[in-house]
Amino acid sequence: MLPTLVAQAGRSAWKGPFFVAFPNLREAMENNIPIRTKARACTILPNFVGVRFLVHNGKQYLPVTVTQDMVGHKLGEFSQTRKRFMYKQTKNK
Amino acid sequence: MHILGKLLRDNLYVPYALTFFYGIGPATAQRICARYQIHDRCKIRHLTPVQVTALTAFLSAPSNTPDAPVQPVAPPRVNTLRAKPFAMSSLAVKKEKDAQEKSKDPLQELRIESDLRREIRENIAHQRMIGSYVGRRHAMGLPVRGQSTRHNSKTARKLNRVERRN
Repeated sequence: MLPTLVAQAGRSAWKGPFFVAFPNLREAMENNIPIRTKARACTILPNFVGVRFLVHNGKQYLPVTVTQDMVGHKLGEFSQTRKRFMYKQTKNK
Repeated sequence: MHILGKLLRDNLYVPYALTFFYGIGPATAQRICARYQIHDRCKIRHLTPVQVTALTAFLSAPSNTPDAPVQPVAPPRVNTLRAKPFAMSSLAVKKEKDAQEKSKDPLQELRIESDLRREIRENIAHQRMIGSYVGRRHAMGLPVRGQSTRHNSKTARKLNRVERRN
């Protein structure tokens, strides 16, 4: 897939990708502290590579380590919001 | 007639017969026909050998095809002495530039058959590798774009695989 297409899927080119500025980005990169965020819609920019995030999934903050391949995707794509259905047998009938 | 190992029956219209190739729909087929001067009521049996070789050459390597021939049109009928000099705003200039960049030949970027299938498989494998939601849904064989899964979702169950077959 074209990286530009991923970054802008359906969005006007003049706006550029949507992202949230994290003021503590450099600090997090140096000290390897995860950034806690609820900005699931934030596009992963090339300068996020190597940073650890804790992305909110509606309930918890799930760890996401950004790699080079993830650039252009959104943070929320890597933090699952649904729980897999598990059948639990009832103890007392 | 066989083109690239695909049997195209002699009594089919060419624009329709071209859609037998994976990756060519009605719009692309018409574009190809226009490029090789094949009229839309032409049947496979009426193709000249030159047209057949041209089509075969194009379909076997769409990226190697020469650019579309430039067909000049008549200039606008404006009295150049009276007309005011037309100054383009910067926005218009930018728009024109964008249009020029965009006006790459769409037929050169065409991918058909196994090339296209490989591209799709690579895209899915990429999503799976980085562990995104799309990749996970493919691995589970479930719809990717938020469709309901209460009933059916037959297409997704058939197609959504990491190693997609068709």
